[in-house]
Parts: sequence; C-alpha cells; structure tokens
Amino acid sequence: MKPDTPLTEGRLYLWWSRMAAMTGKELLQLGRDTLLVGAVLYLFTLDIMMAGGVKMDLNQGTVMVHDADHSRASRELIYRFQPPYFKLGGEILDQNEGIRLLDQGKALVVLDIPPQFQHDLIQGKPTSVQVQVDTSNTVLGTLAANYSAQIIGKYSFDAALQRIGLAEESLAGVPMLVDQHRVWYNPNQKDAWFMSISELLTVITVLAMMLPAAAAVREKERGTIEQLVVSPLTPVQILLPKVIAMTLVILLGTAMSVGLVLYGYFHIPIKGSLPLFFAVTALYTFAMSGLGLFISTISRNLAQAAMLTIMIMMPIILLSGAWTPPEAMPPGIRQAMYLSPLYYYIEMAYGILLKGAGLKVLWDSLLGLGLLGSLVFGFGVWRFRKQFG
Amino acid sequence: MNLLRIKALAYKEWREILRDRLFLSLAFILPVSMMLIFGYGMKMDVENIPFAVLDQDRTAMSRDYLHLFMDSRYFDYKGHVESERELEPLLADSRIRFAIIVPPQFQESLLAGKPVAVQSLIDGTFPFRTSTSKGYVIAINAAFNGKLLAGFISQRMGISPEQAAALAQPVKPQLRYLYNQELKSIWSIAPSMIMFILLMTPPFLTALGVVREKENGSIYNIYSSTVTRGEFLAGKLLPYVGISIVNVLLLWLLAVTLFGAPFKGDPLFFFGASIIYVTCTTGIGLLVSLFARTQVAAMMITVVVTIVPAVLYSGLLVPIASMDAASQFEAHLFPAMYYTDIALGSFLKGIGMGQLWGRVAALLLYTLVLWTASYLLFHKRVRA
Repeated sequence: MKPDTPLTEGRLYLWWSRMAAMTGKELLQLGRDTLLVGAVLYLFTLDIMMAGGVKMDLNQGTVMVHDADHSRASRELIYRFQPPYFKLGGEILDQNEGIRLLDQGKALVVLDIPPQFQHDLIQGKPTSVQVQVDTSNTVLGTLAANYSAQIIGKYSFDAALQRIGLAEESLAGVPMLVDQHRVWYNPNQKDAWFMSISELLTVITVLAMMLPAAAAVREKERGTIEQLVVSPLTPVQILLPKVIAMTLVILLGTAMSVGLVLYGYFHIPIKGSLPLFFAVTALYTFAMSGLGLFISTISRNLAQAAMLTIMIMMPIILLSGAWTPPEAMPPGIRQAMYLSPLYYYIEMAYGILLKGAGLKVLWDSLLGLGLLGSLVFGFGVWRFRKQFG
Repeated sequence: MNLLRIKALAYKEWREILRDRLFLSLAFILPVSMMLIFGYGMKMDVENIPFAVLDQDRTAMSRDYLHLFMDSRYFDYKGHVESERELEPLLADSRIRFAIIVPPQFQESLLAGKPVAVQSLIDGTFPFRTSTSKGYVIAINAAFNGKLLAGFISQRMGISPEQAAALAQPVKPQLRYLYNQELKSIWSIAPSMIMFILLMTPPFLTALGVVREKENGSIYNIYSSTVTRGEFLAGKLLPYVGISIVNVLLLWLLAVTLFGAPFKGDPLFFFGASIIYVTCTTGIGLLVSLFARTQVAAMMITVVVTIVPAVLYSGLLVPIASMDAASQFEAHLFPAMYYTDIALGSFLKGIGMGQLWGRVAALLLYTLVLWTASYLLFHKRVRA
C-alpha cells in the first residue's frame, strides 16, 4: 500500500471497515474479561458514590473539658462546642487524663477552663482558656484550632457586650461588622459535589491511561502483536482502534456516572452544556491514552506497564489542583502544574458541571489541553510507529 | 511444609524478578519517587487565595479594612472591580476564588455607631478551601470588630484605649498544638505516605507476579509438581514481602532525614508493625490474583481495592474522625486506617504497643484472614 496513491472511495471504505473491525475486536476482548468489566463498572458507579460520602470538613470532633471553675459562665462556653464541628465527649478530672485521651486519638481537643473564670469575667480582668489540639493530622488539627478560636472569640465578644451593659436586642447601636457569606456554585458546601466529581475525573484518568496501555502490552506479551504487524494493517490502524474502543468505553461509563450518580444520586445541578463536557472528556481521554501508548512502548510486560502507569499518574493527579490549591504551591511546582493535562481538564469539568461556564470562559483551558494533548498523543503514536512500523 | 521447596520457589521467583531489570528497579524506584513527589508537592495549606474587591464606600475606613485582607498572607489581591456583575466571570474562570463587597456608607454607619453588613462571595467548588477561606474572613472581621468595640467602649465609658481593649476581649484562647507545634504538614504527610505507598505497591507486585504465571501458563508446572499449595504461596510471596520490607526502611529513612519528620516512638515496634502491614497488603495482592485470570483484570481490581481506600479511607486526605457513620464503618474494613494510626503515633506522638496494641491486633487479624482465604481458594486442580 503506497501512501501517495489517491484515496478512492473503495480504499476509504476499506480503511474504515478495517478500523471498525479492529475497534470491534478490542471491545469484544474487553467484554469477555468479565472481571475487568465488573471493575470498570464498579469504578464508574459505586466507587464514586462511596467517594461522595466522604466529608472533608471537621465533623463532630470530640472535645473533652477540664472545667476548674464549674460556673454558669464556664458552662455557657462549653455548650458552644456543638455539632456539626464538635461534640462534647465529657468532663475530665485532671490534665494527664487529657493528654492520655489525645494520645489515643479519643479526643481531638481538650479545653481547659481556669478556676476563677467567671469571677474574672465579672471583675473585668482578662482571662484565658487553654485549648490543646491534636495536630498530628495537620488538616484536621488546623480546622479544629480555627473553629475553637472562632467559638471562643465569639464568646469573648458577647461577654464584652454583656459586661458593658449591652443586651442582644440593642446591638443595632453598636458599630460592628456583620458577616454575610454567599457561597457560589455549591451554596451548601456539600462535600459530595466536590468529591464525586473529583473521583470521576480520577477514574477517567486511571482508565484512560491503563486500558490502552494494557491492551497494547498484552498483545506484545502474548506475541499476538506479530500477527497484527504482518497483516495489511498500518501501525495507526492497530493503534487507533485501541484508543477509540477505550475512549468509547470511558465515555459510556462517564455518561452512566454523570446520569446515575452525579445527577441521580447526589443531585448536582448540571449547569453547563453536557455535549461540551463529553467533547472535552473525549479530548482528555485521547491525550491520556497517548501517555498509555507511550508506556506500552517502553514496557515488555504488564507488570512493568502497571508500575509505570502509577508512577506517571500520581504526579498528574497531585499536580491537578483538585487536592492541592495551585496558588499555594511553591513557584517551581506551580509551573509544573501547567504540564499536567488533568489540570486543564479539572478546570473545565468543574467549570462546566458546577459553574455553568461555556467556551467563552474556558477557551484558554481548552487550548492548553488541546496543545498538550496533541503533543502527548503524537509522541505516543510516534514511539509506537517507531517500534512496530 | 517443606522448607527446602519453599526456598527453591522463593529463589526461582527472586531470579525472575532480578532478570526483569525494569521491574526490579521500579519496585524500589516507584515507592521512593512517590515519597519524593508527595513530600514536596503535597501542600494542603490554603494560602494566597486570589481575591478581588468591590469598594462602594471608598473612604479611609473602608481602605483600612480592605488592607487587612491585602496584607494577609492568606490572600492575594487581584484588583478592584466597579460592579458586582464584573465578579461573576472572574469567579467562573477561577481567576479569583473570593470577593469582598464593602457597602456604601460603610464609614458613615460605623462612625454613627451602627452595624454594617459586609458581603463576601466565595467560590464553593472546593469545599475544603471554601470553609478555610470563610474561617479567615471571620477571623479578620473579628479582629476588626474587636478594634471597633474597643473604640466604642473607650468613647462610651470614658476610659483609656488600653483598658477598653482589655474589656473588648475578656477571654483569650490559648492554643497549644500538640505533636506538631509548627503545624508542618509534611510531618503528618510523610508518615501517612509510608502507609499509602506500602498499601499500593506490594499488592501490585504480588498480583501481577502470580497472574503472570497464570496467563503465561507456567503455573501448570507448579500444578504438576510436588509443591503443596502452602509451599507455593509462601515461596512465591517471600521475595515480594522482602522487597516491601526494604522499602519500609527506605521510606522511613526518607521521612526522617530528607523531610525531617520527628520519630519519637519505638523503632522496633514500628518495624514490627510495618512487617505485619506489608505482609497484610501482600496478602491483598495474593487474594486478587486468585480471582483474576488476566493481568489487566488483576491490575484494575488492585486499583479498586487499594488506591481508592488508600486515598479515601486511610486518613491521608480525609480524617477518619470527620467522616459520617457509613464511611467510618467502611474505613474500619480496610487495613490502611490502623496503620495510619500506628505510623502517626510512632512518628509524632511517641506512643507504642501500650496504646496501639488494638491496631496491631486488627492488622494481624486482617493478615490471617487474607492468607487463610487465599490458601483455601487456591487449588492445584483447574476447574473445568
């Protein structure tokens, strides 16, 4: 087959029918591995549902109290540690017990109210309350410390007002700022919205790399690649059907996930255009499958491919901005984020699904993904052709 | 159990691993590189939040107030806008994550002794960042309120500003951060990463190692040999457990030297518990390999049973304590959570067997169940 002969209708038909046959073969091969199909189905449905059940915010952290005052004032302060952030675990008699409970992870916060607490308040003497926080998990510890400081700050403010003889009803006569927060895109700050979308994007990333890589390496490992190479198929005709088949599977899974889990189960109001979302997903899957193909050219067996996939996937997920805010990253790593295709995809996926953003806003991310994607995919195909052409 | 046969099998497996250079190097490079990537890249701190300002008052007081945000290291000032409508595209494009709106007559009302509502718009896409940003806003507003109140008290009661300031904030919180005084996130990430990496890599190595024999057909040599099931499982997995134990040491060294995480506990206890843990996670790979016929399936299932729980149910990103009841229950079903407690306890809290025996027992039980199940499920006869 000379590439420079003009494509007649018959040749074009032949080309497409070979592509279709190969794509069909890939789908059939995938479909016969029931365990694999089961795993893919699970990842797109139950796994995302489970991820959505996870909460990131502090949820009923246990507060133990050492109250040396036992007064009305101290009780009032203690009872401000309430759900959703805190729950009162009970009273302890001495400080050592507090340390022991913190050691065992049975308490997150130990509140220590000094003797004479109420007395000092009435006298107008400044007093302090000791808050010990377990910060062995920094995320949780920071949240607990911040919320405790907020609660005590508010208590202190109220106590000050009471001290100078201003009851709650006459607050209109005090100069103060009143916090009014409006949270956009996820007004009730439901973690499930973030977590389920984030998990879906991770699943897409894992599958878009692993499935084509595995499909290609398996042929190498079993030797069936030799049969394909001696057939009239060109390298692109061997390669593209794998990518197309896996993209189809992933798009199908994504559709199921968006329909059943995101919309059906978590009631995420899909604000933007779904066709745009699927187009972007297809583009992203193509880009990532380029990486998968690249992996398949370096590895001789699946064990190698699996480890390489994880090794490439981890930084991509980490540098995507879903878990680690880009603006808080040190300068070098921040620039490296622009090399992660997932960074652009996350921006667009959240933009379309939650914010209702369209191309007018997202064109720069799309351009970034398009450029990076064609580079990665082109590289993968080039490596593959070099090896089997 | 014939020790000689186990030795022979383990030696065969070890030769096979040695000959696959890429596999061998990846078995050690993968954990170390993951530790480096996460150690350097995993910054969960919410800082430099990009924000814009809509100042409808434009007075000295409103500027003073807004400067509290601009000067804070938590916020990154991106500019003024003229109307609320301009904020929407900025938020949609993630150019800003937060906006603050100062209403007209801000200064006038405050000087007249009246309360003023200040609005903040926060991007809710990433709820963890949202609630943290909200906390910062509340803290800044509270500080500003404290000053306002002090001024108000000093005027009303005719006392000095210092006395008034003491009256305005009668109760001070005295925060003590235990186990990690400087709130260095790497201190808690490094030990958690040991858990994460050792949950992921051993099952991968094991599952692929066993399923490869099945897929290649070389397992028939085992089926037809005199080797018993127990001997096969023990011999086959010994090298993988060995690799993982070396990795425990490597990761521990990285955490302590490179990332400077303090290790306050008992090293012997920690290594003992770690060996149980890697034996357990190797067992996960073994169990997966008995179900999967193809390596692709083995790979996928390993992802499902390890990465997902490692990320969600281990306490790495999401603290177990803050989960709802259902998720907490699920977390208890995976071994990751117990080892996270052991790792954090050994590193930061300096506690040992006395407090953590329950966790170790849970891991042991888990290991026993996995290995027994594998032994019972592994047959030398192929079912027709």
